[in-house]
Amino acid sequence: MTKRIALIALLAFSLSGAAALADQAAPAAAEKTLSVFTYQFKHRQAEKAAAAIKALVSAEGTVAIQPSSNSLVITDRTENLKDIAAALHRFDAAPQPVQLSVRLVTAARVAEGGRVPDALKDVAPKLAMLRYNSFDSLGAVNISGREGEPGIIELGERYRANFRFGEYDSASDSIPLVDFKLSRLQDDQLRELYKTTLNLKLGQTLIFGATRDPESQRALVVIVSAKR
Amino acid sequence: MISCDLFRVRYPSSTDEPAVLEHLRACDACLAAVATEDPDALFRAIGGQELLPPGGVDAFVGDVMREVRLRSTENSMERRPASWSRRLAIAATLAIGLIGGAVVYQLERTQAPAPAGITPVAAARPALTTLAAVETYHSETATIIEVPAEGVGDVRVVMVFDETLPVDL
Repeated sequence: MTKRIALIALLAFSLSGAAALADQAAPAAAEKTLSVFTYQFKHRQAEKAAAAIKALVSAEGTVAIQPSSNSLVITDRTENLKDIAAALHRFDAAPQPVQLSVRLVTAARVAEGGRVPDALKDVAPKLAMLRYNSFDSLGAVNISGREGEPGIIELGERYRANFRFGEYDSASDSIPLVDFKLSRLQDDQLRELYKTTLNLKLGQTLIFGATRDPESQRALVVIVSAKR
Repeated sequence: MISCDLFRVRYPSSTDEPAVLEHLRACDACLAAVATEDPDALFRAIGGQELLPPGGVDAFVGDVMREVRLRSTENSMERRPASWSRRLAIAATLAIGLIGGAVVYQLERTQAPAPAGITPVAAARPALTTLAAVETYHSETATIIEVPAEGVGDVRVVMVFDETLPVDL
C-alpha cells in the first residue's frame, strides 16, 4: 500500500513539475521574441505617426524615425507588431476628401427690432448667450477639398478666407483648418482681420466670433463645420 | 555466564553463588525480576552485602529500578530506520507541496495587474480626445473664451476679444 502511494505521488510530482516548467518556459520565450518592423509612409509624415502609435508600443519595444526615407523602424513583440502595423496602415491613408461649410455673419446687440434670418435660426440661440440678438448674413459657401490642400473662399462681396485643410486626427476625429486668414476688402485693398488655426470635429458646428472687447456691440462671426 | 532459565532455577536456593551473581550483574531483566521480591539481591550482585545505602536498601533499589525502566523506555522509543518506500512517499509529498505552491504562485503572478512601468497594449488604445477649438491665433494679446458645450456633439461657441480688430467689423 505504501509503495503504491509512493508511486502515485512520484507520478504526480513528475507531471506537476513538468507542467510548471512548461508554464514558465512558454511566456519567457514569448517575452524574449522581439521582431523588427519597418514601415515607409506614402502619404503621412513618419514623425507624426510615431507619436500616434506611441501608446501601442510595449515597454520592451522601441520606435526609430528615419526622416530621409520617411520611415519608422519598430522593434516589439510579434503580437504587438500586428496591431502596430494595422494602425500604421490606417494612419497612412491617402488624403481624404473634406466637405466644408462656412457662413459669415455679423452679430449685433440691439435694444429693439432684432433680426434673425431663417438661415441662422440654428445658431441664434447660441449667440444669444453672448447677448447678440440681431444677425445679418454676409455670405455662405460650401467647398470641397482634400487633406493638405489649400482653400480660398469668397464670402459676400467684401470678405475672403484663405486656409489649408490639415491632416485628419483620428484620436479626436477632427480636422484642422490651418492658418485660416479672414480678410476684408477696404478702400480697394484686402486687409487681414485675423489669422487662426481651428480644430473642427467632423460633423460638429463651430461658431467662431471675433470682436474688439466684451462690451462691443458688434461682432464678426464665422460658422463652420466639416464632414467627410 | 549461565542462561536466564538456569539463573531462575538456581537463584532462590543459591543467592551467593558466583555464577548466579555474575548473571545478576549482567542481566537487567533477571535483576528486575528478582529485585521486586528480594531487594538485597542487587547488593549481593555487586558484592555489597555489608554496605547500607543512604535512605535504606528499599529506597536505593527503587531508584535503581526507576533507572532501569527509564532506560528500557528510552531503548524502546529509539527511532527505527524508515523503509525506502516510506522515505519516498514523504519526499514525494513534500515535493508535490512545493511544486503546487510554486504553480499557484506563478498563476497568481501572471494574473496580477501589470507593473506601472509596463502599459498593457489593449488598455493603451487611445480614447477619443477633444482638441481645443482654437489651436492658434495671430494676436498674443487676444482673449479667447469657449462657451461650455451642453453635450458631446453640441455646437461649440468660441469668442475672441482682440484689441487689434477694427471697430467697424
